Amino acid sequence: MNDEFYIGYLPSAPPGLARRAKRVVLTLIFLGASSVVWLAASQAARPAGTFEFGTVRTFEGVLIERPIPMLRVSPPEGLEGEASPLVLVGFGKGGLPEFARGHHGAQVRFRGTLVIQGANAMIELNDPESFEVITPAAAGDPTGEILSLNVTVTGELVDTKCYFGVMRPATGKVHRACAVRCLSGGVPPGLLVRDDIGGSAVFLLAGTDGAPLDYDVEWAALAVTARGALELHGELPVLRVRSLELAH
Amino acid sequence: MSGPYRAVHWNRQKKVYDRWVVGGLLIAIGTFIAVTGALRPEFTAETLIIRSTSIAAVVLLHIVLAIGPLARLDRRFMPFLYNRRHLGVTIFLLGLTHASMATFQFHAFGDVNPLVSIFTAYSRDYAALGDLARISNFPFEPFGVLALSILFVMAATSHDFWLRNLGASFWKLIHIFVYVAYGSVLIHVAYGVLQSERGLAGPVLLGAGFVTLFTLHFAAERKEARIDAVIAPLVEEGYAKVCAVSLLRDGEGRPLRAGKERVAVFLSGARVYALSNACRHQGGPIGEGKILDGCITCPWHGWQYEPENGKSPPPFEEVIGTYPVRVVDGDVYVLPRFNELGSSCPGAGVEGGTR
Ligand code: FES
Repeated sequence: MNDEFYIGYLPSAPPGLARRAKRVVLTLIFLGASSVVWLAASQAARPAGTFEFGTVRTFEGVLIERPIPMLRVSPPEGLEGEASPLVLVGFGKGGLPEFARGHHGAQVRFRGTLVIQGANAMIELNDPESFEVITPAAAGDPTGEILSLNVTVTGELVDTKCYFGVMRPATGKVHRACAVRCLSGGVPPGLLVRDDIGGSAVFLLAGTDGAPLDYDVEWAALAVTARGALELHGELPVLRVRSLELAH
Repeated sequence: MSGPYRAVHWNRQKKVYDRWVVGGLLIAIGTFIAVTGALRPEFTAETLIIRSTSIAAVVLLHIVLAIGPLARLDRRFMPFLYNRRHLGVTIFLLGLTHASMATFQFHAFGDVNPLVSIFTAYSRDYAALGDLARISNFPFEPFGVLALSILFVMAATSHDFWLRNLGASFWKLIHIFVYVAYGSVLIHVAYGVLQSERGLAGPVLLGAGFVTLFTLHFAAERKEARIDAVIAPLVEEGYAKVCAVSLLRDGEGRPLRAGKERVAVFLSGARVYALSNACRHQGGPIGEGKILDGCITCPWHGWQYEPENGKSPPPFEEVIGTYPVRVVDGDVYVLPRFNELGSSCPGAGVEGGTR
């Protein structure tokens, strides 16, 4: 029988009780830390991406608004072909900002922040003052290289800004509300397709004939099936969606 | 009923307690950040904050919920009970950090007020409740808000000032809501991160936590039911609780009150005895005496009595009364009616039972 009695308002606990309490606490800390290690290690790996938060660079190129807001830049000196365009979004959970609209086909210059994930690159236009039109609109609707007129793809509906690197992880239920906000704010939607061996690709989703894609932003983070024509803009795959529905 | 507000006085034990809490949390949060940083370097700092604070909060919530039944099952856990409210306040602060970061990250800078967005981002899926195929789409955010709100009310009213002013039973009622908070946390986790992270760790640990808490509460409940079954008839017979066995020192007495009677309670070896507190010589306080050579010895002039029957050892012939005594769950119960004078009364074993 233990004859020590604990009185909390006294300055010290009896030595036997204190020793035992210490053992209990150390056991709890050990159990807690082990659980934490297991939980941390069981988190799935995500694609790496970079958001150069706080860094602004100057960009120049042809602004494309349709089918997806993009900036076409000239390839670096001595390189043939077309460099991949950079997708354009606004600050926070927003798409192409108001100040950059209405210049489809114009040569423009502005400052912004890069979001990069592998071949996918995006610019956040966060400096309205820096935006200037160098040569007014010239081009018609640009079309990419058409790969197929009729594809059906099923995957997770993501917002491309978070997915390209602003948030990691940027998929699934925990991120769903954020994806809804981003899509609702005009960030281009993407269809994330995963294969069985850990690979993944994102198709940018656009409407047909330059019309904006008509869809339910609350489908964010859910599995959807898209049908349409697939074209390549540089290395960016864009799906001109004829139909989009929840996958079952 | 009302009482004045007094600032909490932090004594050394409170400080020791808090140091362990803070130390344990730093270890848990630091471990999570270190392991995730090493294995998943692509995760952002915001993700690390959101996840590490919530994991620490959930672990601590399990500990808080375990302390109550553990202390009821084994008094040696009392030291953890005494400052338990510190843990409650800490859980709230961790939850608040988690919620603030998540709200900022997932809902700020959008086209809807962030605090509204928490509830409405995918509001059509509230209807998923009635649709088994889509029920996993039900929003998880409101359950986090509910749990945090309960923790807030509990943290805000944890000071004794509120205990006095709200009344003990109302205060207890508020604190029963911690179980609602626990349930909400389980749903928040199951409908949130467990759908994004499909590893085994989350469900296995949460399940183990639930089973442990359930078992502890069940065991404590059963123990109390058994004790009640013993105490209730005792009380009906007129037994009065006089003190905890742990307050007695071996070989010494304590003058205590059983109902209206003054009784002298002695601990000798592993047995407890209750006798009249009045010495036959000049009415000295027997309870303030000690046991010498196996006899209860009056502190005034040293008259002696045997604990089992109240008789002075031969050749003396004085006798004092003895009382029926029981020990149940570490507490001493005395019936304030004398046994037959000089009859043998074995006392009660300290391990309790119903002798
Ligand atoms: S009163 Fe007890 S010994 Fe004198």
